[in-house]
Amino acid sequence: MSLSYLLRRLGTLLLVLVGVSILTFAIIPLIPGSPARVMLGVQATPATVATLERQMGLDRPLPVQYLSWVSGIVTRGDFGTSLISRQPISREVARRLPATLNLAVVALLIGLAIALPAGFVSAMKPGSARDLGVSIMSQLGVSVPDFWMGILLILLFSETLGLLPSSGYRPLSDGFVPWARHIILPALTVGIISGSIMARFVRSALLEVLHQDYVRTAHAKGLPGAVVLRKHVLRNAAISIATIVGLQMATLLSAVVVVEIIFAWPGLGQLALTATLQRDYPALQAAVLLSAVAFAVVNLLTDLSYMFLDPRVAYD
Amino acid sequence: MTRITTFALALLVALAGFAAAQTRGGTLVAAWEQEPVGLDPHITSARSSYQVLENVIDTLLTLDAEQTIVASLAESWEVADDGLTVTFTLREGVRFSNGTDLVADHVVTVFDRLLDEETGSGNAWRLAGVTDIAAPDDRTVVMTLESPNPSLLGHLASSQALGIFDPAGVDDGTINTRPVGTGPFMITDFQPGTSLMLERNPHYWQEGLPYLDAVDIRIIGDETVIRSSLVTGDIDWAFTVPAQSVEELEARDDVVIDSAAAGAYYYIGVNTEEGPLADVRVRQAISFAINRDNVATAAEFGNAEVTQDPIPSSSAWDFGYAPYGYDPERARSLLAEAGYPDGFEMEIMPTSFIQPTIRAAQVIQADLAAVGIRTQIRTLEWAEWLQEQGEGNYDTYVCSWNGLVDPDDFFYAQHKTGEVFNFTGYSNPRVDELLDEARMIPEFDARRELYEEINATIVDEAPYIYLYNPLEIHAYHPDVMGFEARADQAVRFVTTWLDR
Repeated sequence: MSLSYLLRRLGTLLLVLVGVSILTFAIIPLIPGSPARVMLGVQATPATVATLERQMGLDRPLPVQYLSWVSGIVTRGDFGTSLISRQPISREVARRLPATLNLAVVALLIGLAIALPAGFVSAMKPGSARDLGVSIMSQLGVSVPDFWMGILLILLFSETLGLLPSSGYRPLSDGFVPWARHIILPALTVGIISGSIMARFVRSALLEVLHQDYVRTAHAKGLPGAVVLRKHVLRNAAISIATIVGLQMATLLSAVVVVEIIFAWPGLGQLALTATLQRDYPALQAAVLLSAVAFAVVNLLTDLSYMFLDPRVAYD
Repeated sequence: MTRITTFALALLVALAGFAAAQTRGGTLVAAWEQEPVGLDPHITSARSSYQVLENVIDTLLTLDAEQTIVASLAESWEVADDGLTVTFTLREGVRFSNGTDLVADHVVTVFDRLLDEETGSGNAWRLAGVTDIAAPDDRTVVMTLESPNPSLLGHLASSQALGIFDPAGVDDGTINTRPVGTGPFMITDFQPGTSLMLERNPHYWQEGLPYLDAVDIRIIGDETVIRSSLVTGDIDWAFTVPAQSVEELEARDDVVIDSAAAGAYYYIGVNTEEGPLADVRVRQAISFAINRDNVATAAEFGNAEVTQDPIPSSSAWDFGYAPYGYDPERARSLLAEAGYPDGFEMEIMPTSFIQPTIRAAQVIQADLAAVGIRTQIRTLEWAEWLQEQGEGNYDTYVCSWNGLVDPDDFFYAQHKTGEVFNFTGYSNPRVDELLDEARMIPEFDARRELYEEINATIVDEAPYIYLYNPLEIHAYHPDVMGFEARADQAVRFVTTWLDR
């Protein structure tokens, strides 16, 4: 891989972010309702709404608002001030980012821990009872909405069994046990769902490779099954699996919003939802931009991982 | 001249005697479903914010559990005979939680800011008629009015928007996140969307209070999870629990359900300005067509009292005026009389922010269909709902008014011609006249007579179709003592203690 390739990719990333930010800035004012009205509630009058909007700087032309926002980010790394809490958004994001990253990583690991064995087991004997079992389970996992899954898990593990807390977040710095006790249920909620989806892709990726001529040849020339699997099947399926994992990040990001609300998890998803409902434009902008960054970075990493998984892939 | 002095001394003695039995210390873990929308008392309008402020800032006057106006920061007050001057004497030795002494100038600065148009406060109307606020000395505040306003004292006692905070917070920008007050607790940490920590105010003016060291408020955005957290012991106290769980929780030994008839009502707001709904007979037909028992059952799972006028039965101002029995026949004949024998089409606008409004709208839709009114439900989230309602883009909507105490709160701003919250376009010169007159009369009986007529006229002319008064419901563990659900919906932890 050459440096120029990486620079090109990063350049594209930057363009994507500029595009995303312009798009959100253009779309947001089309949503009816304003943060001033949310603050004032049913007691809003046209005069008080106008005064608050002026204080919030919303009476300026949109391009002016956009440019002042962008220049804040570029020159000071400053995402602006929340219209509702009047706090710097950068601080808010910095506080929430670790919670969301923790949740996303653990959920992805749980998802993989479900998807890889399940997909493998069913692909080895397609049409068997085991395969059917895995299909049914993954169908269930895909069909159950995330909020419902979360509540079911709380009912089971918190209320009935009394094993785990029903909500809240503790950082890893508070100790592993409190951290783990709090993260298990939300991560499991997201993990079961994304694992169920990934299991189906893993199964079909493996099946596709298993039916390739070179696998038959490998078997024919007498290689032991385990070696065929390791050297020919898994290596080749790895590329598709990496793609799926990358794409799953998008699902994960949206599932995290819902799960963060249910489990009172102080992450970016919660920030995004509150910002949307309260029309806190700068906070919403920051949340959207960060999701875009996360998504683009994961995509880039996925593409780069191909190089290691498959020596035929070279970027220049 | 009316001179009202306070029972402060008696109260303190009583509290001191009472205090022996209480345990001091401990942290109460409380769950709020909705997060505070800013904490600037002048700007916010959210209940979730005001219920935090209840414990942080004090008002000049306050309401006791019986909803009687009693002293708070003002130890006495005096209304001049002509009603145009109100003089407050501040309690001595009161300090803000940051140690600053409270003086009359603070009160003047705070109220001046509230009245300043540049502040953009939605609460300035509560000081209607006030033209000047002055501090002749450190302990005296004099309000001058252009016309008498008997509901002024009620507002000063019931609204946290009129609470007194350290004005320094306005200049240093902390007013919206950490307002500093004289209340029993102070805000020591606020993580928007996540949690808020209240710790004991070391300078609190009521000797021996509060009992708790701290209240750890957590925002848990899902009612079902709040219920689970309460049952599992993750939290001690819940602002709300799902209406459908109340019965189940009541049956448990480890949860106390505490409820009070609230100074609040749910209603249908009708756009009286155009179409069939401009005809009073059509609005009355709707009122006859609705089975309020079913509405209350669906919307609140029965945790409500059905009503046809706004003021709850627990109030001295209750009129119990109920001309609309559930009568679809009568509704149909009124519609025919108004020229709509086959009904008509209209829209009803609930908001997802207040879930009971959606459930109420569904019952209303079915009831109206039975008399030929074909209703589309348009559910909007809060920000959009507020905009549509504010701009009059609706036929009918379902919403609630909360925290109302004085009868003026129930009628004036909502129904007087052209008033700020008159979103229905209702206008009746006789009602306008009565509303202004009733504001100026101090005697209860004479005032009550006027409000009785106002109440009856508004119910008859139906710009609002009243549905029910909800119960204010909180749930907590049996070892949480000294807390009480209140009719004014205030959440106060000042006398709360933990029996552990």
